[in-house]
Parts: sequence; structure tokens; C-alpha cells
Amino acid sequence: MNEQNNPTSSHSIIQVQELRKDFGYLQALSGISFNLNKGDFLTIFGPNGAGKTTLIKILTGLMRPTSGSAIIDGFDALEGNSMLRSRIGVISHATCLYPDLTALENLLFYAKLYGLDDPEERASESISAAGLQLRRHDPVRIYSRGMQQRLAIARATLHDPSVLFLDEPFTGLDLTATNGLKNKLHDLHTDKRTLIMTTHDISCGLEMCDKVAIQNKGKFLFLESINRIDRESFETLYTETLEK
Amino acid sequence: MHTGALVIAMNRYLNQVRAIVWKDFITELKTRELFSSMFIFALLVIIIFIFSINLSIVKASEIGPGVMWVAFLFAGTIGLNRSFILEKENDCLQGLLLAPVDRTALYFGKLISNFSFLLIMEFLILPIFMIFFNIDLIPHLLPLIYVIFAGTLGFCTIGTLLSSLSANLKTRDIMLPILLYPLIIPIIIGSVRMTSQVIAGEPLSSMTNWLSLVLCFDVIYIAVSIMIIDFVLEE
Repeated sequence: MNEQNNPTSSHSIIQVQELRKDFGYLQALSGISFNLNKGDFLTIFGPNGAGKTTLIKILTGLMRPTSGSAIIDGFDALEGNSMLRSRIGVISHATCLYPDLTALENLLFYAKLYGLDDPEERASESISAAGLQLRRHDPVRIYSRGMQQRLAIARATLHDPSVLFLDEPFTGLDLTATNGLKNKLHDLHTDKRTLIMTTHDISCGLEMCDKVAIQNKGKFLFLESINRIDRESFETLYTETLEK
Repeated sequence: MHTGALVIAMNRYLNQVRAIVWKDFITELKTRELFSSMFIFALLVIIIFIFSINLSIVKASEIGPGVMWVAFLFAGTIGLNRSFILEKENDCLQGLLLAPVDRTALYFGKLISNFSFLLIMEFLILPIFMIFFNIDLIPHLLPLIYVIFAGTLGFCTIGTLLSSLSANLKTRDIMLPILLYPLIIPIIIGSVRMTSQVIAGEPLSSMTNWLSLVLCFDVIYIAVSIMIIDFVLEE
């Protein structure tokens, strides 16, 4: 691990130390530690059951760990602080959108929940930015998967979060929607937001991030800056990890 | 905390509760799923009872309050079950939990929605009940509204908490009634007794014991819900 990944670094926006989570006899996380600076984009690769979603749920305050600590943007993620929740956004394969409401009603609802000033204006702006202006009065139920994911990104970034968590965001997307999501993530990264993404897709994951990790059996087996790795050797390493 | 900051925090809290109620009402206005299923179920219960009871032997004013509350109870259980299941679609509950909203605001938002839907359904069922059981409720409408209000509030306070708990269970359809019915026995007994007395023309002052019992349980269940909703909603 290089200096940047040192869990004791004080410049980090995300500081995770010895995070453990047990579900009865099953150890989902067994001591994960890492640090991220503002603007970092970490992609976590790992097979099903590696504990990636559990890690995201703990970092976003949805789940309590068995032990360890996680500080996100100066707030303890384990306390379920509402100040922390106003600084993070989460995008997953589940859109968190109400299918019977229109796109505008969905974003208006979330804007009100987040206590944003002028929620109508913010919701309209976000829908325009997602390219859904002409379909804003359509119920989300009739949207394509790609459109729903664009709206889900608009929902997750409505409150301008400094840290974004992406849990398998490419699941179920076709090529066009995948490219659209990649572009959006690129913009968010350029915008100096810190991103943590979990994915199985090596090409998508490696393309955008500046740090990569391989997680398996609740542990980070590999964590390195993208500049220090060779794509082919990483793919070999990942395949070997999965076969273990 | 300064008074100004407290007022801002309170306004924000109330706006969040209002947003949840607004969302539930808009969804219901569009789908009418919850209301129609509750109404049809309550109507069926009354119809089944009316054809199974010989009203020339049993006095309608004696059996009626029990039938009315059985209909409200069963229909209300359907409503409560649906309430949090709607939040599970597309993992919307996760979206709510990720928002900077106090868990009690989520609880109160859902409580107000459930209470309002059930209350509207009950007031639409009342005229049908009056016709089938041939009971004139109009002279007793004000005390009856008071009794229905207190009983329904108690049912919804603990029901909303338990529906949020059972929403994460695979056996949620079975678990909600199993957990809920034993806890609402005092409220239902009190409400049935008071409804009988109201129909018999007794004033509310003659039923203060039952009314106090029901209102006490309303307060206790709200207090318990506020205390444990954080743990109930946690994964």
C-alpha cells in the first residue's frame, strides 16, 4: 500500500479503518482499511459475495459494522448522522424511484426531503441536465432502464454531494446507456467529487477510476493507484483472485 | 440550540413529514390500489356478516359495533401491509433512509398517510353499514367520529411501526397480523364498547374509562414507536 492509502493520513475525505462485519458465523468484512482524498475515484472489483455491497451499506450509514471506524467528509459514518447523509449520494442498480410518480414528482419529493431551497427549480434543472425534460411528466414506470438510471443519477446528485457511492451501476444497461453513464461519471469525477464504485466489469471499472481494489472474502487483496498497474497484469491478477 | 435554529430545524422536520404524506397521497390518487382494496375488503366483511346473522333474533345495535370494527381492522391490515411494501419497490426505502431525514419523520409521515387513508375509508363504509344494519348513526355522529378517531389512531400508531418492521421479512403478509392483533386488543375492545354505548345513545362522559384506556394506548404506542423506529428501520 502506498502512502496515499495509509489509513492514518489526515488529508483524506474518506478514512476507513479495520472495518469488520459479521452476520452470525459468516464474516462479510474482515478488516478493511483504506483512505481516499478529495476527487479520488476508487473502483472495487470482486466476485459475488465478496462483501462489496456490505461495505457500501456501512459507509453510507445503512448498516452498522461489528467493529472498525469510517469517517466520511469529517463525519462518523457509523453514527447515522443526517449531516453526513446530506453530503453523500448513492447510485445502485435499484433506482430508488417511485414507479407511479412522474420524473418531476420523484425529484421534487427528494428535493423536499433533502430540504433544498426552491425544490421545484432544482428538480427541473436536474431533469434537464439528465436530458429528460420532454419526458418529465411521464410516470417512471414507462421509462426504459437507461432513462431510469439517468434519473437515478439525477436523484443521487440532486443535493450536490461531495462523495458518491456507486454499487454495480452498470447492471442491466445496454451499450448506449452504459456509455451515457460513463460520460456522466466522468463529468462527476472532473467536478472533483470523490467516487467509490463496485463493479464486475473490468473494462468499465478500469477506464474511469484512478485507484483500484480487489475485494474477496471480505478483504481488500489489492489496492493500488491506476498509474502503477498494467491493465493486462491486473486482469490476470483479478482472474487468479476469483479462482482462489 | 438557539430559538431561531430550533424553529428552522422544526420547519425542516415538518416539511419532510409533509413531503412523505404528499408523496403517498399523490401515489394513491394515481393508483387507487390501497384505498380500493381496503374499501372492497371492508364492504365484503359487512356483507358476509349481514347474510350470516339473523337480525330478527340478534339486535343490530348489539352485533353492529363488533362487525364494524372487524371490517375496519381487516381492511386496515391490508392498508398497513401495502404501505411499506410500496417503499420496497425499486428499493425506495433505501432512498428514504439515505436522505438526511430523522427516522421519526419517516414514521410520522407514514402514520399520517395510513391514518388518513383508513379514516377516509371508514367514513365511506359508515353509510353502507347504516343501511345494511338499519342503524341510524346520524344523531350520534359526533361522538362516533371521536371514537373512530381514537381507535383508528391507536391501530395505525402501532400498525405503522410493525409494518415497517415486517416489510423486510419474507413472511410479511403473515407476520403483520400475528404481531399486530395481540397488541391492539385493548384498543379494539375499548373502541367496540364505546361504539356500542354511542349507538345506545349514551354520552361520551359515560365512557371516560374506555376512552382513557384507548387514548393511553395511543400515547404509549406513539412513544414506543419514536423510541425504537431507528432500530426497526436499520438493516
